[in-house]
Amino acid sequence: MRKIVSLGVLFALVLVAAASLPAAYPDRPVKLIVPWAAGGDTDNIFRPFAPGLQKALGATVVIANVGGASGTVGAREAKNSPPDGYTLYAVHDYIHSTYYTGVSDVKYSDFEPVCLLSSTPSVLTASPKTKWTSWQELLADAKARPGQISVGATLGSTSHFFPALIEKAAGIKFKYVSYEGLAPRMNAILGGHIDLTDSNLTQKGKVDAGQLRFLAIATEKRSPEIPSVPTLKELGLNVVFSVERGLMVPKGTAGDVIAKLDAACAQASKEPAFAESMKKQGTEVRYLDRKAYAEYQKKLDDLNRELAKDLGLLKR
Amino acid sequence: MLGRDGWAGLVCLAGSLWLLTLTRGLPQPALVPIGPGFYPRIILGSTALLSALLVGADLLARRRAPGPRQGQTAGTAPPPRPRLPPGWPLVLTTFGLFTAYVLLLPGLGYRLATFLFVGALQAALEPRGRRRWIFIVVVAVATTWVTHLVFETYLSVLLPRGRWTAF
Amino acid sequence: MVELLGAGILNVLQAKYLLSLVIGTLAGVVGGALPGVTITMTIILILPFTFGLDPLQGLAAMTGVYVGGSAGGLITACLIGIPGTPSTIATTFDGFPMAQKGQPGRAVWLGVWASFWGGLLGGVFLIAATGPLAAFALQFGPWEFFSLFVFALAMVAGLTGTSLVKGLISGAIGLMATIIGADPIMGVPRLTLGSEFLQGGFQFLPILIGIFAFAQIMTDIEKMSGGGPARDVARQAPSLSVSHLKIIAEVLGRPFLLLWSTFIGILIGVLPAIGGSAANIMAYDQAKKFSRHPERFGTGTPEGIIASESSNNANVGGSLVTIMAFGIPGDAVTAVMLGAMIIHGIQPGPLFISQEPRLAYGIFAAYLLAHPIMVLLIGAGARLFMRIVTVPKPVLIPVVLVFCVVGAYALNNTIENVYVLLLFGVVGYAMVKFAFPLAPLILGVVLGDQIEVNLVRAIMTDANPWLFLTRPISGTLIALSVVSVVLAIWQHYRAQARMAEAAEPDVDF
Repeated sequence: MRKIVSLGVLFALVLVAAASLPAAYPDRPVKLIVPWAAGGDTDNIFRPFAPGLQKALGATVVIANVGGASGTVGAREAKNSPPDGYTLYAVHDYIHSTYYTGVSDVKYSDFEPVCLLSSTPSVLTASPKTKWTSWQELLADAKARPGQISVGATLGSTSHFFPALIEKAAGIKFKYVSYEGLAPRMNAILGGHIDLTDSNLTQKGKVDAGQLRFLAIATEKRSPEIPSVPTLKELGLNVVFSVERGLMVPKGTAGDVIAKLDAACAQASKEPAFAESMKKQGTEVRYLDRKAYAEYQKKLDDLNRELAKDLGLLKR
Repeated sequence: MLGRDGWAGLVCLAGSLWLLTLTRGLPQPALVPIGPGFYPRIILGSTALLSALLVGADLLARRRAPGPRQGQTAGTAPPPRPRLPPGWPLVLTTFGLFTAYVLLLPGLGYRLATFLFVGALQAALEPRGRRRWIFIVVVAVATTWVTHLVFETYLSVLLPRGRWTAF
Repeated sequence: MVELLGAGILNVLQAKYLLSLVIGTLAGVVGGALPGVTITMTIILILPFTFGLDPLQGLAAMTGVYVGGSAGGLITACLIGIPGTPSTIATTFDGFPMAQKGQPGRAVWLGVWASFWGGLLGGVFLIAATGPLAAFALQFGPWEFFSLFVFALAMVAGLTGTSLVKGLISGAIGLMATIIGADPIMGVPRLTLGSEFLQGGFQFLPILIGIFAFAQIMTDIEKMSGGGPARDVARQAPSLSVSHLKIIAEVLGRPFLLLWSTFIGILIGVLPAIGGSAANIMAYDQAKKFSRHPERFGTGTPEGIIASESSNNANVGGSLVTIMAFGIPGDAVTAVMLGAMIIHGIQPGPLFISQEPRLAYGIFAAYLLAHPIMVLLIGAGARLFMRIVTVPKPVLIPVVLVFCVVGAYALNNTIENVYVLLLFGVVGYAMVKFAFPLAPLILGVVLGDQIEVNLVRAIMTDANPWLFLTRPISGTLIALSVVSVVLAIWQHYRAQARMAEAAEPDVDF
């Protein structure tokens, strides 16, 4: 009897010891929180990225779409996850803009940066039910009917900031309607329920099919994918805008875990399959390591606060 | 005295009114013309109204037919009084075991908690004291093992690990 | 369209999709055959398995469950006289007497082939109608969607259950569940009592699983303590061999009956959230009315089986149209499918078919292919399924509950969803006990956020609230909602009056 008891105790001790030993990271699957519905543009970028990351990391990467409230629901969930490297968070500039516009209470500094991954330039897109074929026609119409042209946007997020910057640069006024995420905006713009929206090159197919109109792209130079679309700079508006997407982990994650993730990220961003799928989506693969990304984030944060202030949306 | 519908209506009425008080003080964001409290107030207000209607209808039906006699019309008879369902001890046991399972799941981990739950509930549902322990244990082990294997290995769904047991 | 469908079929014929379709159909047939396990339950149990699969694999499995389940229930209905699912209630009326008269094979196979042809006709409608309806739905702005959702809720509240008020309250409880948590526009926490857990709001799948699973399982448990049906009821399943050609001829030899029942099934399927349990009874009723020998119904006439079974499978096709064109569920099963699609990153709606043709035609193909698969499976294993029906409830129930927990947990890998499951399990059981219909609640939970978002969008686009009434489609839908509520009230009064009249002579006793 005693033997059995002592054996049991020994067994329990071994179990506890085994549990408390830090196993080599990662020893189980990793969850990647995408704070938007699947099928949106953020999801479209991180889904093709996940297999590469999985390979480089040596652990399964499971994407969890946690959408809602301009991406805030997912941000909160990521923030409250244990900082053990098993929860990653796919982020873009909205983390800054929603914070300053008062939509969200989560700040970028609640997380540790891992790497920057991609950059997607914004394109001003018009519904086929509108009569504008060029920016000039839109401008004239907007001047004639201030506050009447409806723009579908995720409020307080990048798709709100981009048209707001145009508004400011051109001295016009739009009317904003909440359409969260690119997919619902496309539904609405194809049906003519909104006039304008921010989109990107992923929608090129619909433009070619005559279902949508690209009016202007917010890059420095014209994009080789759509050479006929002028840049906003050419049109005399000093607006250059793109959405930068990267990975973060909750604050307090161990440095060596982040380093490991960053290394995996660097390797995965070089996968040819990933590059191919990004090219199709008009997105530039733009890897920055954790240090450079941290600095860049700080810059982006200041920029977004400035923007929010300029646009009269600053709430903090 | 209230009937089954009356009590249900009262509970819904109380619940919706209480939630309605919580919608006070919701902020009004500048970007949206109607605030986050607008829609909830419509919903909660109409729920309260409907619940009151239900209570009223129940009272009315009771007054119209006080003490339904045998053989009287089914149409005007008031709804039955709330009564305990026939197998309530077993239902209660199942709810209890399930609650325990859910609460112990994060602590014990999926495998241990599931094994215990499947075993215990089977034992509870098979009241006759037949010698089925081996069968019960086999089913519990098989359920736990198969689901764990399939979900973790093939479907990359991570089942909870025990906080206390690390298993 | 034909090429797309051909491509879809070739696509689904690949091993990985075909396998999930076959497994789904098998699960559907078995789940349908098990009394007390509805199609909704089966699909809920299958759902967690599809989280890790690619979307089409998952949807093929779901479609298989749906088609298989609608047919599987008839085996139990014919052979032991208990409907395996609510959508085979009317099949028992004639299927069981026919089986008892010594023709169990004929009863089962009449049902199977009626399901097959009814389902395929429903499939033709599905493929032909989804595209045009989706094009029509593209004209829907926020006003129209708001009114459509209101119409769906009003109709369900009026049609299900005995009391309109209770139906409406049930729907309102569903809507209430969606207003808790961050608001969908600006993320302002509402009614959270400061709780971090409530801030994320309730996900709809754990609610759905909780409501349905517990309402059903607990009702089963209540019955168990009262002795319950003998377990050995069908240990020696009878031989089911028949001449299939003769049976097919028997089914196709009644073209009017087949077409009319199919039409009823499709119509009920297209209307939101009514479902197969209404379709089969309505079709049976119609068949009886049109029959030259209504007195034979209930004694084992083939017409009764054909009407019931062709309508419930056609109903599946109709429900899929509604979900694919408008993004609103045709019944509880499609509500779960909608949840599954969203989990897989597909938002069904007007653009679904043009933006995701591979998936849309994949679903069409899976739907069509599920029918022959269903026939083959039943042919191969009808007797085996009868043995599965005899799995003792004390084993089945704990296992089903574990699946529910896994399903709720696996959705986001968070334990909070399991708590939500428990909470709504209690709510669901309480509602059954207080005789509230569950369908309006489910529809409310599924549509709640969409109703609010579209309301806000409409007002942001144009502050004029009269647009809900003056825009033609929206106005029509609102008018229809009012009509359906008024109709429900009128029907209620008429039923009461009729009961009072009928009861009058009794008073003399």
